[in-house]
Amino acid sequence: MYDFIIIGAGITGTMIARELSRYKTSVLVLEKENDVGNHATLANSAILHSGHDPKHGTMKARFCVEGNRLYDDLEAELGIPILKTGGLVLAKSEEETRILKKLKKNAEANKVPGVCLLGRESLLEKERRISDAVVMGLEVPTTSVTYPWEVALRAMENAIDNGVEFEKNETVRAIERTGDSLSVKTRNHTYKAKTVINAAGAFAGEIAAMIEDRVPYTVTPRRGEYLVLDRRVKGFISHTLYPVPGRKGKGTLLVPQVHGNILIGPTSVFQDALDEAPTTADGLAEIRRKANKLVSDIPFDKVIRTFAGIRASIDKKDFHIARSKEETDFIHVAGIDSPGLTAAPAIAKYVVETIIMKKTPLEKDPGFNPKIKTVTMYHDMDAAARNAAFQSDDRYGRVVCKCEMVTEADLINHIRRPLGADSVKALKKRARIGSGLCQGGFCEHEAVRILAETLGKKMTGIDYYAKDTPVLLKDTKAPS
Amino acid sequence: MSTYDIIVIGGGAGGLAAAQAAAANKTSVLLIEKDARLGGILNQCIHNGFGLHHYREELTGPEYAEKAIDELTDKTLNIRLNTTVTKLNKEEDRFFVTYMNKEEGERTVTAGACVLTTGSYERTRGAIALPGTRPRGIMTAGSAQRYINIDGYMVGKRILILGSGDIGLIMARRLTLEGAEVVGVAELLPHASGLTRNIVQCLHDFDIPLYLSHTVTDIKGKETLESVTLSAIDAKGRPKKDSEKHFDVDTLLLSVGLIPDTKTFDGITFKEDPRTGGAYVDQHFETSVSGLFASGNALHIHDLVDFVTEESLIAGKAANRYVHRLKNKKKNHIRVNPGEGIDYVLPQRIDTTSKKHPVTFSFRVKEENAQATLRLCQGERVILEKKRRFLTPPEMERLILPVKKTLDVETPLTLHLEVDEG
Repeated sequence: MYDFIIIGAGITGTMIARELSRYKTSVLVLEKENDVGNHATLANSAILHSGHDPKHGTMKARFCVEGNRLYDDLEAELGIPILKTGGLVLAKSEEETRILKKLKKNAEANKVPGVCLLGRESLLEKERRISDAVVMGLEVPTTSVTYPWEVALRAMENAIDNGVEFEKNETVRAIERTGDSLSVKTRNHTYKAKTVINAAGAFAGEIAAMIEDRVPYTVTPRRGEYLVLDRRVKGFISHTLYPVPGRKGKGTLLVPQVHGNILIGPTSVFQDALDEAPTTADGLAEIRRKANKLVSDIPFDKVIRTFAGIRASIDKKDFHIARSKEETDFIHVAGIDSPGLTAAPAIAKYVVETIIMKKTPLEKDPGFNPKIKTVTMYHDMDAAARNAAFQSDDRYGRVVCKCEMVTEADLINHIRRPLGADSVKALKKRARIGSGLCQGGFCEHEAVRILAETLGKKMTGIDYYAKDTPVLLKDTKAPS
Repeated sequence: MSTYDIIVIGGGAGGLAAAQAAAANKTSVLLIEKDARLGGILNQCIHNGFGLHHYREELTGPEYAEKAIDELTDKTLNIRLNTTVTKLNKEEDRFFVTYMNKEEGERTVTAGACVLTTGSYERTRGAIALPGTRPRGIMTAGSAQRYINIDGYMVGKRILILGSGDIGLIMARRLTLEGAEVVGVAELLPHASGLTRNIVQCLHDFDIPLYLSHTVTDIKGKETLESVTLSAIDAKGRPKKDSEKHFDVDTLLLSVGLIPDTKTFDGITFKEDPRTGGAYVDQHFETSVSGLFASGNALHIHDLVDFVTEESLIAGKAANRYVHRLKNKKKNHIRVNPGEGIDYVLPQRIDTTSKKHPVTFSFRVKEENAQATLRLCQGERVILEKKRRFLTPPEMERLILPVKKTLDVETPLTLHLEVDEG
């Protein structure tokens, strides 16, 4: 029996797992996908918001501001990439200017550091490509950008280093109260725990309904579509650019990414499906139209990819983080939509230090190591390190992905990490192979071969993304 | 630091020809190829139809490559295989090329001239922003060709192809022969993008339907591809209502265009032609950077490899002349502009001080024409006039300006097309 089972290994579940691993306690994380962070954590704007936008007094406001600060520790401990872009909220009319002034008051109430209003001239000094329509801006200096999926990966790897267990491809089908524990059932296993934490993202409602008669919220999935510009546009803009927030949230943004790309989006459309996020011609057209209102001469000819993600929104304006009223050993961490990425480390602290410890005090584990052993990729090494790496392994000399400059040794390292890659997309998320101009046209076949060789599988046994989605269907050389 | 006279980047058809020409007169040449063998994409093009112009016989891709490789006989030619160029810079009059391989690690070498014969990459789903989900089963036609012809693996059982470019057409036939069911080829334009012979031999002969003026408007399937929706499009390129056709397929191949691949290593920048996506060159295939040459698909997309070879032989020869020249001679450039009815024309400029060789113009027309007159003009003055039949955008056309024609040294050249009535 475990002390805790966490359902879901997105940014919220992995952060809670890592937070719990600071204590002498046993933890199991169950994930239905074949990797961490495959849904909302993978497909979002990647912004560490300052906290200027969520309404003062909400959990969103509190955890966003605190989480933004906590990312400084995560950067040092987990080596996650953070790009300190700063943010500019841009107003294009008298009316928007009034909203901007209110936003400034809200930001100050939330204790967001350094916010100030800027006139058009000062804005142009910071960001010379803002459109002619922009009249005023709110500077939010603590806005940064990270690579969200990697935050979840590293948090999970660090939690595993500190004793947390992780099972992937395990879909929870039932939760039952049995004596002093909760039984969590998957297709082939039953796991028991004293406390179950529901961090299932868009599936939080379905999970909660397994143990509650009346789930206190309804999940209302909201799709967001995005365009990605090639990393060679680096420097086109240097700040995260927001329009003035509207009824549907923060609007369509332009976001410089840690690897040099620029992300433009999202849209905001309610839909029924919890985990299917198609892009649409209308959505992508809307993004272009709205982005053009904020910034001039956007190089849309440099679009290399489009994608969509699902926000795990609920029918309330705030996160729902509380013990179940029907089953007190079941903790909801639901409705984690924007600014969920930013808030995640603060949410994790709140869940452990307030919700859990109020009922069950936990003892600190003196052996907890907050740091993770990271592997530096070849393109991030200096000349001396590159030479040393090559001397130790000649596969550092073989460039597999020339668009993003990824070597064969980099790929093998990512396959062999504790939470290593076992599909083409898992490798793409870790090593950026196929993230460039050719989108894998030149290198996918090499990724398949290297995965097969390193994992000791057949070429036809290598999945594209999800389990049982092989890239190659049949070996034409094999006798049939 | 190793020093060469000329470095040729890319060992496909273009690089083989450029290196061969560059290595004449005991000129030291380094040919760098990222793959394990020379020949580039020819190696995966196992169908025939290559070499009719250049070798006067019909060859398969690998046979064409073998012939080109056999012609590399100069002892001053050095070859690096499995080697990727990561940087190209020019300082004063020297080029610095950084490459990586398993034998030497990361190395920088230098040369007096450089030829880019890096070929092209395929336009992707992302670049054309196809709507729908992103499941397994969507790839470029060239990737599928590589899997089937080099690695020996099938990628699908029921297949739809978007784009009627030559690779897509060839793959429709190849996949059919390999046992898959190709349910159709869709083309956004009102005419096919590939060569007529490929439409006939790859689609008609196998009863594969071609849907002209159609595009993909939805892709369904969460983890693996389940269905693709095609819609007819109107004259403005918008999908027509109620024209949807649904295809239950496990694979969607994209053959939606090739783009010159000269941007995947860091360093040097040169003037580009937005019409071709490649460099802006003169008649010797010299780019805006003195001593840097570009040819083949790295310069503009060809339908026939024979012309890649011819063009690259000229580029290689020009690089050879460049490094043996004692001092930089003064040049005088005039621009070459695409006029009425012309999509693009190469070279984009001509050095009028260089009069020894005829100039071959390569161009594509904007629309299909049964019969037309081509006029190369300087202002009102017609330099060259030719009548041509059956001009079509998928087929690259050529026009040769003989040495005896004299050009005004100040007026830009324009290539016009006039449609002949009747």
